[in-house]
Amino acid sequence: MSEPAPKAPVLADPLVQHPLIEGRYTGAELGESLLRPVLRPPGWGWWALLGLCSALTVLFVVAIGITLFVGVGTWGIHIPVAWAFAITNFVWWIGIGHAGTLISAILLLFAEKFRSSVNRLAEAMTLFAVSCAALFPLLHLGRPWKFYYLIPYPSVLRVWPQFRSPLTWDVVAISTYLLVSILFWYMGLVPDLATARDTAKETWKRRAWGLLSLGWRGSAKHWLRWRTGYMLLAGLATPLVVSVHTIVSFDFAVAQLPGWHTTIFPPYFVAGAIFSGLAMVMSLLLPARRVLRLHHVVTEAHLDALARLLLVSGLFVAYGYVQEHFFGWYSGNPEEMHAMEILRTGPYAPAFWIVITCNVLVPQLFWNARLRASPVVLWVASLLVNVGMWLERFLIVVSPLSEDFLPSSWRHYVPTWVDVSLLVGSLGFFGLGFLLFLKLLPPVPISEVKQLQHELDASEAFAREVSMKAGAPGGGP
Amino acid sequence: MKRWLLGEFKSPERLREAARALRSRGFTQLDALTPFPVEGIDEVLELKPSRLPLLGLVAGVSGAIGAYVVQWFTQAVDWPLNVGARPLHSGPAYIPITFETAVLASASALFFGVFFTCGLPRVTHPFFDVESFRSASIDGFWVAVAVEDDAGVDAADAALRELGAAQVARVEEGA
Repeated sequence: MSEPAPKAPVLADPLVQHPLIEGRYTGAELGESLLRPVLRPPGWGWWALLGLCSALTVLFVVAIGITLFVGVGTWGIHIPVAWAFAITNFVWWIGIGHAGTLISAILLLFAEKFRSSVNRLAEAMTLFAVSCAALFPLLHLGRPWKFYYLIPYPSVLRVWPQFRSPLTWDVVAISTYLLVSILFWYMGLVPDLATARDTAKETWKRRAWGLLSLGWRGSAKHWLRWRTGYMLLAGLATPLVVSVHTIVSFDFAVAQLPGWHTTIFPPYFVAGAIFSGLAMVMSLLLPARRVLRLHHVVTEAHLDALARLLLVSGLFVAYGYVQEHFFGWYSGNPEEMHAMEILRTGPYAPAFWIVITCNVLVPQLFWNARLRASPVVLWVASLLVNVGMWLERFLIVVSPLSEDFLPSSWRHYVPTWVDVSLLVGSLGFFGLGFLLFLKLLPPVPISEVKQLQHELDASEAFAREVSMKAGAPGGGP
Repeated sequence: MKRWLLGEFKSPERLREAARALRSRGFTQLDALTPFPVEGIDEVLELKPSRLPLLGLVAGVSGAIGAYVVQWFTQAVDWPLNVGARPLHSGPAYIPITFETAVLASASALFFGVFFTCGLPRVTHPFFDVESFRSASIDGFWVAVAVEDDAGVDAADAALRELGAAQVARVEEGA
């Protein structure tokens, strides 16, 4: 036989009782079921949500307008609490983005097959979350229209940005993260845009997707280069995720303020980012799975894996809390001890205990396999984690500022309606982007799911063959 | 004028066998067009591994050097600003931007490199004139045989039909 000996199966389904794809489909059926949400006209629920998100986006624009025309005095900030909601929102949003890259890039590098069904959605979430995040440091500049001072352009004034300041690090980190996320997302999208182009009936849809798919033909050469490039981009995105949130934490850690000036911050921030991002992925994925009828590709195996990831990252976050408070106490430094004490017993104690409940206690539910399989429990828990993580970021930003070294300057923080509008408005803006994404682009990577199904078929066939050979007397080569 | 014969197969395994058989019959100008990457087709078609990793490395290193030089030049040479007696050439403080720029340069080079080496973007292609070729991104596994003359067309047509192609189509550029 010229045929080479069959290779060992590429993979076996890792969770046999929870398959990664429910049932078996032909390529056309699979493609059609995944494109259905895009090809069909939107339902009333989509329009209702779109209306709500548009209204919130208008509120967002109004709040941004007030900030630009009147100034940051319309926020509740003052001295000493010169950073508050804007930086909280920034850290929270950018953290949410991180899970998208985690799921798509890190799990790709580890050849985790369950990623294929959820990565597109998670990456889209990353893009909109990072877009929201990027706005807040700009607005916080005070004179946002002079943001270009942060870019080293050759001006006649010879005024350069201060590269020793974490603010310039932030600019470079966020813009790199946003651009690399877009490139990675678009690269993964191109083969599916070609599928959408070839499935659509209307000429204008074929043209639109045809332009976006750049003439993709699925040639063997295309696939070879695409896979190499996609894998390398994943390899680049992985350290990028860690570096971006590390740099965000440097904004705090380079200051000498008690409660900020700690070495635990970079890993603590990265863990919190992944935790909050996973929660947001679940908050979006579970309703989308139900409404778009994606149960066959987003199965219980996916929910189980995501819940386990949420539990693990929640434990990292809990470890961070323990470390933070332990070192506050162990430092023996009265200011450090005070910074930790006001969290537990001071004016911010209610928020702190909500944080502990949402971020430490709630994820512990997922030790239980039955709860991991329940979409309702997962969804409620993920929403609670989102709230908990926002409050955690708020406490990190505001609590050390409001009670620092000098008791005579202590002052607490109360948000204004502009602050609240910016937060709620950014949620609407995020939702708007996400709803449009769900309607315009394939929400699940079609080519990857087809390939996964083919691999699962091949490994099943191989397993059957092996067991038949082993079972047959005198069989085998 | 370029000419091809396209043959559709119904599974990746059949496509791989057909491509191997076509090669052994002396057809060397082959390409496979599939909805997802088919394992092992690169070896059958003898495609060389891509040199994109080298491109990514070169771009990344250049980006890092560029970013570091800009920071050093602006802070320590062109406009030295003494802040709290910190060193003008403060290497550790330049690391974050150097790293981020390396990633950005490398990722952009890879992204554009992939599409450039694939000959994309290209919105039209003679294959797209074949209506049934739409299945190449849905569930059809196509093999394309580039041929020189009429004799080649007939030979490739016969070979594809013999190998069990579900359908065979002739494509000419500019036709």
